[in-house]
Amino acid sequence: MGTISLQSVSKTYGGARAVVALDNVDFEVAEGEFVALLGPSGCGKSTLLNLVAGFEPLSEGKLLFDNQPVARPGPDRGVVFQEASLLPWLNVWENVVFGPKVQKIARSDYELRAREILRIVGLEQFHEALPVQLSGGMRQRVGIARALVMEPRALLMDEPFGALDAQTRLSMQALLLEVWQNLKTTVLFVTHDIDEAILLADRICVMTARPGRITRTIPISLRRPRSIDDLTTADFIRFKAMIMAEMRGSGH
Amino acid sequence: MAAAGISGANPSLQGFLRSRVGKGLLALILPLAALFLWQASGTNGAVAGGALPTPDRVWKAWLVWAFDKPGPMTLSPYVGNWMEAIAFSAMRVAKGFGLAVLVGVPLGILIGWSRLAASMVDPTIQWLRPVPITAWLPISIAIFGISDFGAVFLITIGAFYPIVINTTQGARDVDKNWIRAALMMGANQWDILRRVVLPAALPSIFTGLRIGLGIGWTAVIVSEMVAVKSGLGYVLWDAYYVGRMDIVIADMVSIGLFGFLSDWAIVHLEHWVLKWRRMQNFNQ
Ligand SMILES: Nc1ncnc2c1ncn2[C@@H]1O[C@H](COP(=O)(O)OP(=O)(O)O)[C@@H](O)[C@H]1O
Ligand SMILES: [Mg+2]
Repeated sequence: MGTISLQSVSKTYGGARAVVALDNVDFEVAEGEFVALLGPSGCGKSTLLNLVAGFEPLSEGKLLFDNQPVARPGPDRGVVFQEASLLPWLNVWENVVFGPKVQKIARSDYELRAREILRIVGLEQFHEALPVQLSGGMRQRVGIARALVMEPRALLMDEPFGALDAQTRLSMQALLLEVWQNLKTTVLFVTHDIDEAILLADRICVMTARPGRITRTIPISLRRPRSIDDLTTADFIRFKAMIMAEMRGSGH
Repeated sequence: MAAAGISGANPSLQGFLRSRVGKGLLALILPLAALFLWQASGTNGAVAGGALPTPDRVWKAWLVWAFDKPGPMTLSPYVGNWMEAIAFSAMRVAKGFGLAVLVGVPLGILIGWSRLAASMVDPTIQWLRPVPITAWLPISIAIFGISDFGAVFLITIGAFYPIVINTTQGARDVDKNWIRAALMMGANQWDILRRVVLPAALPSIFTGLRIGLGIGWTAVIVSEMVAVKSGLGYVLWDAYYVGRMDIVIADMVSIGLFGFLSDWAIVHLEHWVLKWRRMQNFNQ
């Protein structure tokens, strides 16, 4: 449940000048695994995630989710966008239950869960608020809640905390660690922040640009459960030094 | 900058001019001055050598038109039937405008959303659009005769273009990630149109509605002058023919008033429907 498998996947964007965003990528995510895609901007991280989400068709290769070819987006893969991308005319509650509602799930079957998830992400007082009334961090909590309420087999997160200030980012990372510790769903997490990748992931895949490739995979053996206190441990610093060397070595 | 100069001299005056009452008084200066000049330039209730009546004559004619009861010996057709003329015109605008909304909004959403619909329908709309509504009059009369529906048809055509064009624009500019998010949550094409594209296009749609309603009032007057025998437009032309310029002017003022009121109604509907949008602009 929640396995992702890319076999020799390439993605070329058409247009006046074709861009090879992904070149012959092999990539696996196991059930319940937390994998971070780390790389500089423009290296194809979002492209890879969008292929898995079913937002874009691949050009070559094979892409399987739970051993089925990915054809279209669906609630089995919850996506969290960088800017949350909530529907601004719906309030927090309506945004969170949008998925179950359009899937014609009976209200009694999702109402309790939606309430519980909103409580976990700390928004139980804000059901009626419109997205514009929330801070960036709160908006992203809604973004996470609306993905979780669908009980997806995988969470796909594209730099979800990239637009937040450092303080908020830390609290969001702590929240995600806590939520994931309980749910243990598969997570594919895109970031360009080395600390964030080490703190959250079981495994980091380092990507390079032109053409987009995964150049190295680094398992992060820090014990679980983790917290933001891990950011300053000796083990953490060792991983960080290693990854920085890796990224410099590959030309960045 | 001029306002800043005034404020330097007298801040409390500037504060008053910014208040609701102050603004209302400012807005009244021009119309009152015009009324005064108009009245003052008349002799024996006539201006411009008898071509136009003075405001007091217009006011009296309107009182008769609006409130008097026609007796058995009444010859003037402008007694006590002002509301009736307004009701005829307003009903036609409501029907024609409603029809334009019913056709224009769904069509605009479709054109904005589907490339196929855009290539099929959009060019035709663009070709027909330069034909002014007045040019449709003969065809309208030929088809519908001197009937209510001829007027409604013209209003629909006039209001249709701004509605469909603005709706199309709004449906085209929907944030791609809103659609992706909805797809990810299991929405089908119908959900996307109804729950994402339509609400996202609403600000543009309202722009179209306002312009369309304004054109609707123009169209109703034009068509009533030619194609039907009732309503404010008919009275306008008829009163001119029998030399009742006081009624002509009272009629013009009525058109302005009801055009203004219907626009006001749409603006308030928009404020209420687009609450999320207003707060967004406020926050930025
Ligand atoms: N829709 C698109 N059309 C054309 N080129 C694109 C498109 N999306 C991304 N690209 C290009 O593909 C490359 C990878 O982009 P992206 O996957 O967004 O990188 P990242 O998320 O790592 O910053 C970049 O060169 C980018 O310009
Ligand atoms: Mg990206």
